[in-house]
Amino acid sequence: MSDDAMTKVKTPGRLGRIYQGRTTIDFVGRKRTWFTISIVIIVLGLGSLGIRGFNLGIDFKGGSSWEVLAPHSSISAMTSAVKAAGLSNPTVVKLGSQTYEVSADVKSLSTTAQTALSNKVSTAMAKQAGTNANQVSTSSVGPTWGASITHRALEALIVFFIAVVAYISIRFEPKMALAAFIAMVHDLLVTIGVYSLFGFQITPDTVIAILTILGYSLYDTVVVFDRVRDNAGGILKSGDLSYGEMVNLSMNQTLARSINTSLVAILPVLAVLLVGADLLGATTLQNYGLALFVGLMSGAYSSIFIASPLLAWMKEREPRFREMAERARLRSDQQVLTPAAAAMRAGESGQRLARSTASTGTLPRTTPGTLSRGTIQARARKQKRR
Amino acid sequence: MAQQVGSRRSMIVSLILTIAIAFGSLVATLSLGWGPKLGLDLAGGLSVVYAPATHASNADMQEVVTILGNRVNGLGVSGATVNLQGKNVVVSVPGAKDARHVLAIVGETAQLLFRPVLCQVAEPTKKAKTYTGSVPTCASNYLWTEANLGVTPNNSPAGFASNAPAVDPNYSVVKTTSPPKDLPGNNVILPYLGNPGVRYLLGKSELTGQAIGKAVAQQDQLGAWVVNYTLTKTGSPEWDAVAKENFHQALAIELDGVVQSAPLIQPTQATFTSFAGTGQISGSFTEQSAKNLAIAMEFGALPVRLNPLNTLIVSPTLGHSALVAGLGAGLVGLALVLLYTILYYRALGLVIVLGLAATAALLWAIISALGHTALAPSFDLAGITGIIVSIGITVDSYIVYFERLKDEARAGRSIRTSVDRGFRSAWRTVLAADTVSLLAAILLYLIAVGDVRGFAFFLGLSTLMDVFMTWYFTRPLVILLGRRSNEGGSALSMAAGLTPGVAAHE
Repeated sequence: MSDDAMTKVKTPGRLGRIYQGRTTIDFVGRKRTWFTISIVIIVLGLGSLGIRGFNLGIDFKGGSSWEVLAPHSSISAMTSAVKAAGLSNPTVVKLGSQTYEVSADVKSLSTTAQTALSNKVSTAMAKQAGTNANQVSTSSVGPTWGASITHRALEALIVFFIAVVAYISIRFEPKMALAAFIAMVHDLLVTIGVYSLFGFQITPDTVIAILTILGYSLYDTVVVFDRVRDNAGGILKSGDLSYGEMVNLSMNQTLARSINTSLVAILPVLAVLLVGADLLGATTLQNYGLALFVGLMSGAYSSIFIASPLLAWMKEREPRFREMAERARLRSDQQVLTPAAAAMRAGESGQRLARSTASTGTLPRTTPGTLSRGTIQARARKQKRR
Repeated sequence: MAQQVGSRRSMIVSLILTIAIAFGSLVATLSLGWGPKLGLDLAGGLSVVYAPATHASNADMQEVVTILGNRVNGLGVSGATVNLQGKNVVVSVPGAKDARHVLAIVGETAQLLFRPVLCQVAEPTKKAKTYTGSVPTCASNYLWTEANLGVTPNNSPAGFASNAPAVDPNYSVVKTTSPPKDLPGNNVILPYLGNPGVRYLLGKSELTGQAIGKAVAQQDQLGAWVVNYTLTKTGSPEWDAVAKENFHQALAIELDGVVQSAPLIQPTQATFTSFAGTGQISGSFTEQSAKNLAIAMEFGALPVRLNPLNTLIVSPTLGHSALVAGLGAGLVGLALVLLYTILYYRALGLVIVLGLAATAALLWAIISALGHTALAPSFDLAGITGIIVSIGITVDSYIVYFERLKDEARAGRSIRTSVDRGFRSAWRTVLAADTVSLLAAILLYLIAVGDVRGFAFFLGLSTLMDVFMTWYFTRPLVILLGRRSNEGGSALSMAAGLTPGVAAHE
């Protein structure tokens, strides 16, 4: 896009502003709104969990399932075929366009009888599909299997939480670790709640996916916090911004990145969900895709709307930052820095240090309504008087 | 802090080397014909997870792994793996053509026991009850004692004559022994393989399958199927002692609660002679039953009983369609991501495209090479998902850098300076974020079981690749492009949002 094309845009829309780094969304100030939204979703989800529980897959309940590729069959034909083979209460579903899945609870039978029945059902399904029994996939699961997988996953989760909190505490600071941790718990609760609300089936794959989500949510939060830390060492020192304002600025600075990254992460998952699972009927992919989709959305949301406002809130309770926030509130010329203006300002300080080789010809012109060079100097003077 | 990240020369070298390594290794693996080791859910095949029924030591479980490994390999299927995950044994046979046959053999999970046959007992009626306490022996006239059997060698084709003691009818009210009570030290009532209705009352186990070294199914001179076996060094004297005690009587071979065979000991000989470490079981075997017995004898002796937790058979067709689905989803996702980045970042988007191509080439080469060495977990749907997820993480490194670049340009710096400064701050972010991702992958790999490990492995691998590519590929490429640019003239300054003066322009 050329310079000329850009200058023609007089008043950029919301997207344009994000693109040019000129957003001034008040993420921190409206924390009550964000927190309320999250709490409503979580309470709804947990309420549903309390009332309806989970839709657990056979991996958790124990049972058997069979799968076959049958282009010319139907659910009713498949059902009667497996019933004839001796399956008393089968559930038959169509996966994708050509795959049929039959599942049933055969736990009451002995191992030997289960094997015999399984082979009979396989043969019957293969006959329906016009193929041989080796083309039928089967899965038979003991009732403790799902629980044992989940148990290991929970172990992994706890160790992961500890490691992550330790890492962020050391690399960043303990309050950031706490905010990131709460954001992760938020994502966990939202995902669990959504699964219960919509009755999505829980399989061991879902458990895996949830672990990934937490990793991803954290990854997202770390990128945002890295910017906060940068600014805490930079623009915050000038004394013009309260901690909350600084976090707000950081959020707006990373907004384009957050949106881009979330889109880039969600696009492949959407592809997994739609192409992989729906068109081609791969259930494992569907299980992963669904949990990842819900979780990535929640993760992107929580890094921006939960972790960061929470961090600002916790930090502003510290005496030195509380004082700073008081001063910011009392200022009559209270203004919000856009990322572009902040960058410009950082550029100027860079120039004062005679670091930059930029010529004045390439300097950005200021936007009315945002910080002008005059204001910055005035505040800098004010700071010196203190 | 240095003003520039690396010298021009070193960056050109690292860029060329990275591209050469990425595409060179791809060409190399392709020309060698190496491919990823496909997992069970993609190649089709069989997977069973067994848990020990009772408490078992680690040494016991290691032995189980060895024995199951031998059993699977004895079937002549390639690529089978048996390994221990926690206390569970995972048997995986990718690409097994006749998965159900394999399952039947591997699934014979019990210990092989040698028990003396005390007597044959009647079929259970519907009213039959489980016997509490130990099962009593038959009345003396039903017992398969040397006297009652009356084995006498002669010149008949079989080589001997014997009596058949009557079936004890009193046991029709006693159920067949259930697996939990089928312990080596108990008397048990068990069915006879392939003979419905025939049940034997067996004495305490006198020997386990560990005495057997090798067992093979062969045809004797008359063409009848027999099982020839050799005993281990320690097993040989034990076997002789048991055989001597049961001379001219029947010794049952029990596996998984079923009598596999109950041969008479040396019926063609008038007196007992030492087996001297080898023996032969003959009888009315078919080729299949002889082979099954041989496999059971050689590999049957497990130190603990195993319960199947999870049995999975994937048909090759469904596996193939899952592979197509996974790769299709991956490609569609990748295409969407590339389209978006090009639309958003224009010229810089092309850097992402080239970077992802190099990453993909290197990743494929590494996965193929690992698959060839059998070091890595096999490439399954969970692994594909891990890689698809990592697309997001990989592209994010570019996004973080490019947004920083835009920030620097907005600050009024020249592109030359921005590429250096932007990289320094982006590199810190990428390192911090990738550390978290890697931490998650490593923990999952170490702690979790099953599919999760594959997922974690490939997620971790792609994260490492991301760090590598950011330093050795993105950094030199973007910085070199940036340094070449004179204001407004180069490809980089054409990149949307990067042109200085545009960002904060009204």
